[in-house]
Amino acid sequence: MEEINIGDYSLLGKSIPRIDAYEKVTGEAKYAADIELPGMLWCKILRSPLPHAKILNIDISRAKRLTGVKAVCTAKDFKGFRWGWMPITRDEPPLAEDKVRFYGEGVAAVAAIDEETAEEALELIKVDYEELPGVFDPEEALKEGAPVVHDYRPNNISWEFHMDFGDVEKGFKEADLVREDRFATGRVITGFLEPPAAIALWNSSGITIWAAKQSPYFVYRHLAQCFNLPLNKIRVIQPFVGGGFGGTKNDSVAGDFCSVLFSKMTGRPVKFVYKMEEVFLTCRRRHNAIIYNKMGMKKDGTITAMQSRLIADGGAYTAIGPLTMYLTGCISTLPYKLPNFKHDAYRVFTNNPVGAAMRGHGVTHTRFAAEIQMDMMAEELGLDPMEIRLKNAIEAPYETINKVTIFSCGLKDGLLKLKEHPLWKERKKENKDKETISGVGISGVAYLGGARQRGYQSCAAVLRLCEDGTVEYLTGATDAGQGSDTVLTQIVAEELGLSIDHVDIQRVDTAYTPCDAGSYGSRVTALAGEAAMKAAKDLKRQLAEYAAKEWNVSSEDIVFKNNKVYPKHMPDKAIPFRKLAQIACYSGVGAVIIGRGYSQYGIEPYDFEKGIGNAGTAYSFTSQLTRVEVDKETGFTKCTDMIIAHDCGKPLNPGLVESQNQGASVQGLGQAIYEEFVMDRGRTLNANLADYKMPTAVDAPNIEVIHILTDDPKVPYGAKEASEGAIVSSPPSVISAIHDATGIWFKELPVTPEKIALALREKKKE
Amino acid sequence: MVIFYRRLPKFEYIKPESQNMLFEILSDNKNCSVYAGGTDLIPKLKKRLIKPPDVLIDLKGLNELDYIKIEGGTLKIGALSTIYSVATSKIVIEKFNILSQAAKSIAAFQIQNRGTIVGNICNAVPSADSAPALLVLNAKLNIKKKDGSRKVNIDEFFIGPNKTVLDKDEIVTEVEISEVPSSFKGIYYKLSTRGKMDLATVGVAVLLGSDNGRFSDIRIGLGAVAPTPIRAKRAEELLKGEKINKELINNAARIASDESSPIDDHRASATYRKIMVETLVKRAICRLTEVG
Repeated sequence: MEEINIGDYSLLGKSIPRIDAYEKVTGEAKYAADIELPGMLWCKILRSPLPHAKILNIDISRAKRLTGVKAVCTAKDFKGFRWGWMPITRDEPPLAEDKVRFYGEGVAAVAAIDEETAEEALELIKVDYEELPGVFDPEEALKEGAPVVHDYRPNNISWEFHMDFGDVEKGFKEADLVREDRFATGRVITGFLEPPAAIALWNSSGITIWAAKQSPYFVYRHLAQCFNLPLNKIRVIQPFVGGGFGGTKNDSVAGDFCSVLFSKMTGRPVKFVYKMEEVFLTCRRRHNAIIYNKMGMKKDGTITAMQSRLIADGGAYTAIGPLTMYLTGCISTLPYKLPNFKHDAYRVFTNNPVGAAMRGHGVTHTRFAAEIQMDMMAEELGLDPMEIRLKNAIEAPYETINKVTIFSCGLKDGLLKLKEHPLWKERKKENKDKETISGVGISGVAYLGGARQRGYQSCAAVLRLCEDGTVEYLTGATDAGQGSDTVLTQIVAEELGLSIDHVDIQRVDTAYTPCDAGSYGSRVTALAGEAAMKAAKDLKRQLAEYAAKEWNVSSEDIVFKNNKVYPKHMPDKAIPFRKLAQIACYSGVGAVIIGRGYSQYGIEPYDFEKGIGNAGTAYSFTSQLTRVEVDKETGFTKCTDMIIAHDCGKPLNPGLVESQNQGASVQGLGQAIYEEFVMDRGRTLNANLADYKMPTAVDAPNIEVIHILTDDPKVPYGAKEASEGAIVSSPPSVISAIHDATGIWFKELPVTPEKIALALREKKKE
Repeated sequence: MVIFYRRLPKFEYIKPESQNMLFEILSDNKNCSVYAGGTDLIPKLKKRLIKPPDVLIDLKGLNELDYIKIEGGTLKIGALSTIYSVATSKIVIEKFNILSQAAKSIAAFQIQNRGTIVGNICNAVPSADSAPALLVLNAKLNIKKKDGSRKVNIDEFFIGPNKTVLDKDEIVTEVEISEVPSSFKGIYYKLSTRGKMDLATVGVAVLLGSDNGRFSDIRIGLGAVAPTPIRAKRAEELLKGEKINKELINNAARIASDESSPIDDHRASATYRKIMVETLVKRAICRLTEVG
């Protein structure tokens, strides 16, 4: 088992196999779509064939009469309920009300005895539309006279942020070189394997829903608001989850609301499962963004100022968009010293599917622009891309100009490791044969861990001691596939000196587990991990008192290790943990030993209006080398190697940290050269897995993850975040590698073979 | 109306136990769909891209159609031979290698094990990978119906996207390929965005024989660059009998590109496809003739 010495621990720093591996590989693990209940109905949604249209009439009468149909609903049945991330941006109804705003928006739904009948019933619903002119490009949407998507935003600006630090004009004057470029990131989606699904039951206990959610406490609150029920009448039960990556599974979908409503109407359990095409067409995507970036640099490579104007395609509704916009700016001041910074971000409504969060949230757009522009300027100034990064890289402790505080930073260490790596040192020596040319690119980025949103942000753990010395662990955090259940269990077992199989983690059930903000923004290990540590210490403290009494020593001197308990310096007196649990539980008429803890990291306020302060608890630093081989004529690009120097602080489970980095970097590779929704006036032309090109296993390069160890005091055991950094570092290093191979700078993602081939032909002509 | 169907539409399902029974049903004048691997048909039915048939006829009861054999030098592939079995057949690899290359390039193993070569042809998409290879191999298709049969050369089989010369009561029972001189060499180049599991943006098959530094025979098949898979006959004519040289190859590649008539779609632009025909035809011929 891989092991990294991160301190005097029995379990932390070890690549403990995932605790859910057996259930997943044997098929024992049940996902939302696997669950069936007696008398269950199927819910299906009818969706709009137009991207922007008034709904004149919906005739559901024929559908209602079809044998086997138990209920039909439209927006009217939701009585004006709308949801959204902030009270002032609640603009999204479960089903379209007076008009549809994107192709594929839900307009009506059916519950029937089986899926075939539900599908047939949808065909019988007649919707009369009056088509409206649509707007599909965010820059077009900003123009005077553009079609208005929402009346409450007559200029189509869904949200905007303006951040201004130092004096960029002064900074540009001090520079020897100033560049302005237009960059664009692509229309991409997460690519989880498990589409949204849920089964809902409404009865006298309230709502119970088994839902595929990455952050079940979002749908918990949405359902309470929608159906006007107290929170203790909402029970979200978390099955196994087949991937999240932010966005869709951190939110509610039309199917959630409709299936609950149908259960209320019929008294029967109601299930829905989305189809992958439905996910691609109607669920949350990453915003695609245009970034006008301006950077000033001195001859020696010192960055003097940066100014960014970002225009993001928000699609038809706000969702979590304001936070995305915040994140595009608030950590642009990392990971390089930046004395002057100005950022204007506009999230623009269009008649496209909704833009929302995705792994590498917000940061991926602006960091891509800044990294590539920095390389372009280095090239103009005749500077080495490695040296320019080393020159500007921050070092801890550090406070950025917008008061982001860094207590640990492994960027320089990482870059120095990459500098010595054979892939970098020997990059110019390669024999270039006739057909393919190779290139190596570099990037260096930062990402926040332990992200904090607005509102109730609790993160807690409850440990219940069983009389035989095993432990039940309740957490509100969800393992959507990233492996957090394993890491959290490692933490609890470590603190209690138990082996990992003595601690049993429970998946979220909002009736029992403590409330949690969710599994997003790389917050689980940092915040739920802190809660786990504290709950375990609390449990240990209680047990230590019983032990102290037995041995007549101070409770602080009780050691918990290797499933045993003993007074400090007297290991020969050790008794099994189980024995102590019995002593404690059997005391008096019987004691109940419960350990509790909740996160208190990162509670200092930050200024959401101005972009000042810490939106995260600690920050990871990732630098990456990528090697590509480009076919000179066809443009076909094969990524052969990625070397990722990753400072996650202390890797509590190195294997999981590595696999997270592998996944993120391949996902980033997809966004760099493969993936893109092709759109025609609001319609997605390639909403299927054959034509939306996610990289497959054969496209994945050799990936080497180098752990850069740092010690951050702001997070438990110094563990910061893993993998959101690598999805940010991957696209710029890939594009930089393609430049190294071809001599061409590509500024719009994805860089497909066609773009490369045509650009190489142009270059040849010159 | 946009509905994301997860279930199949309703239709009658019949699995004939004999060819007599099969052709009887086909001649019944009902709207029938013939189903072998189903890798193209089933997704189309699920998505309601085609009108559901009255009857879906499953060929998989006719085991006698599952074969790959050599008869007097001629390769015969039955209608139920899977793509994988053709890709990995020893005879195909040794004597008709270009077909193995093309079959191997189709989708993933799961699809290769389910889909059939005959189905790949009958589905008649312009990007079908087996088509350019079969075109350059001058394959013949044996077509049967209730009271008769006919043989159609593959270059006369396709008439448009998803359209073939097959009548409603006919099926292709066999692909037949005459012996290829052992000195012939062939390459199938498939250009796609990803390395595997992808659809061809351009497919180029070149099969050639050379004799004393001359092209004794050359055949060029193109996929995904016209309404049907095509042969680049004018390019072939230019080369046939001529001395192998770089300039001539370049000219032929340009002509092949002229012979193509690709469209702009979400997979690639027509411009790129045209350039790639030239690039890949040139590359294939140069590789096969070892012209630098």
